[in-house]
Amino acid sequence: MRRAPAWSVALWGGVAVIAGLVLTPFWFVVTGSIKAPQEIIARVPTVIPESFTLQHYDKLLAASDYAGYLVNSLIVATASTALTLALAIPAGYAFFRLQFRGRGALYRTILLAYAFPSIVVLVPLFAMFARVGLVDTRAALVLVNAAFALPFAIWMLRAFFAQIPPEIEEAARLDGGPPLTVLRRILLPLIAPGIGAVAIFAFVTAWTEYVFASVLILSDARRPLPVGFAGIIGQYQVDWGLLLAGASLAILPVVLLFAAIGRWFVAGLTEGAVK
Amino acid sequence: MRRQGTLALVLLAPALALLAAVLAWPLLAGLHLSLRDARIVGTTGEFVGLANYAAVLGDHEFWRSARLSLIWVAANAALQTVLALAAALILHQRWRGVSVARTWIVLSWIVPTVVVVMIWRWLFSTSGGVVNPALMGLGLTDAPVGFFARPETAFATLVFINSWRWFPFIALMMLAGLSRIPADLYEAARVDGAGPWRRFTRITWPLLAPTLTVLLVIGTLLSFNVFDVIWLMTSGGPAGGTRTLPVLIYETAFRGYRISEAATIAVLSTVLLMAFAVFATSRLALAGEAR
Repeated sequence: MRRAPAWSVALWGGVAVIAGLVLTPFWFVVTGSIKAPQEIIARVPTVIPESFTLQHYDKLLAASDYAGYLVNSLIVATASTALTLALAIPAGYAFFRLQFRGRGALYRTILLAYAFPSIVVLVPLFAMFARVGLVDTRAALVLVNAAFALPFAIWMLRAFFAQIPPEIEEAARLDGGPPLTVLRRILLPLIAPGIGAVAIFAFVTAWTEYVFASVLILSDARRPLPVGFAGIIGQYQVDWGLLLAGASLAILPVVLLFAAIGRWFVAGLTEGAVK
Repeated sequence: MRRQGTLALVLLAPALALLAAVLAWPLLAGLHLSLRDARIVGTTGEFVGLANYAAVLGDHEFWRSARLSLIWVAANAALQTVLALAAALILHQRWRGVSVARTWIVLSWIVPTVVVVMIWRWLFSTSGGVVNPALMGLGLTDAPVGFFARPETAFATLVFINSWRWFPFIALMMLAGLSRIPADLYEAARVDGAGPWRRFTRITWPLLAPTLTVLLVIGTLLSFNVFDVIWLMTSGGPAGGTRTLPVLIYETAFRGYRISEAATIAVLSTVLLMAFAVFATSRLALAGEAR
């Protein structure tokens, strides 16, 4: 397929604008984190760093409990992902492969959870968690994150379950497998990309969450990264080098995760959403 | 059929239990609180009927926040949709590197909001930063612009930051809609001699319209609920110029210690959004059945 030259120029121009919009901020942050302090505050910012130092990272890790926050966030996000998957896969199977009364109405009610201003449940939830001793525990964050990721996670699985030809499931069942074994042995491998997509969505939801963590966690040692880092920002207001190092380190884990299974996420969104 | 019903119940029970505990029950508890006079978290106060509703609906601050929320939702919807549509159309073309771009475009969405806020606060900073030196270098301004110093510019800057965070995610969902348009339609149009613009207006736009409607609805719900970006960047200021309803709820509860009033504003916001969402999900359900 050949394109007119004007069309090519427009296309690559568009690519450049979008790429610039998404990537430029990250470029300045990551390169800024290895610049010497006087270069960071230079009147004319340098696009390519002219100095190199790791002092901001040293200071960040020595002066604050950044590493502890990072570990907390990894624990909470991983556990939230596991819980979301454990709940969303059976629910998705029930919604999209089984017939039962009230299915449509229930499915719509769950989608309504989308419409919650999450801040609405913050106050009553705090009181409730206080009563059952969940305040200041990482388990509280796992429950909250999974609940907020769940409606969209179930929705994402819809198209993946729908794509499986009924004959495959039928044949497996005729061979005498109970439904749960069929689900585990036959269906799960077939919807693996969908599971990957849901896993990333759940992980990102937990990884970026700030509000609930800031209210439900009281002790510094249990703070996840967003809350811990917000504290560091408050404490080191204008120490841009240290803050840029912190931002760079916070970006790293999700970038690694995305490098590994990001393609699944895009496949899951493009195949699963908006049917 | 009966056996399927039992199995479905077993499979759904854990998910429903979690949603009931973390979303439905607190919502009811909030409704309960809105009819009482509680001041700090943990207390329940005495029953006051609809007094809180009368107080909130008569409060100038509530209406101001409601107006800001409306503008916030509309401005974000407009900016996000334009950016996302442009990105989706580009990602729908075939060019070298498009598959890598499709994966990494969501970079701004996978980063913690705290980090997003920190990044932009630095980029927009009046001392150093990147945006102000660039504007001055281009001769557009003589002195650094205080983006967060005035209510209007702070609001506009926050709309930009929030849309920057969300547009790639929406672009990918639009891409889903685009990839569902049969390729032979474009082929046929090309054979008939239709140029890119005609193909867009006659095929892409009409067939993408249902997807755009759905995404506009989802985008509206998502942006109405945005709290952390605003709170971390401006705390609702300056002079309350960015105090949307979620910010007002948080301030009333955790700064003003008027829990019941906060619950009342929350209930009113929820009713507003629910009405919108019921209308929206019935459309979603219709789109699903038409498949």
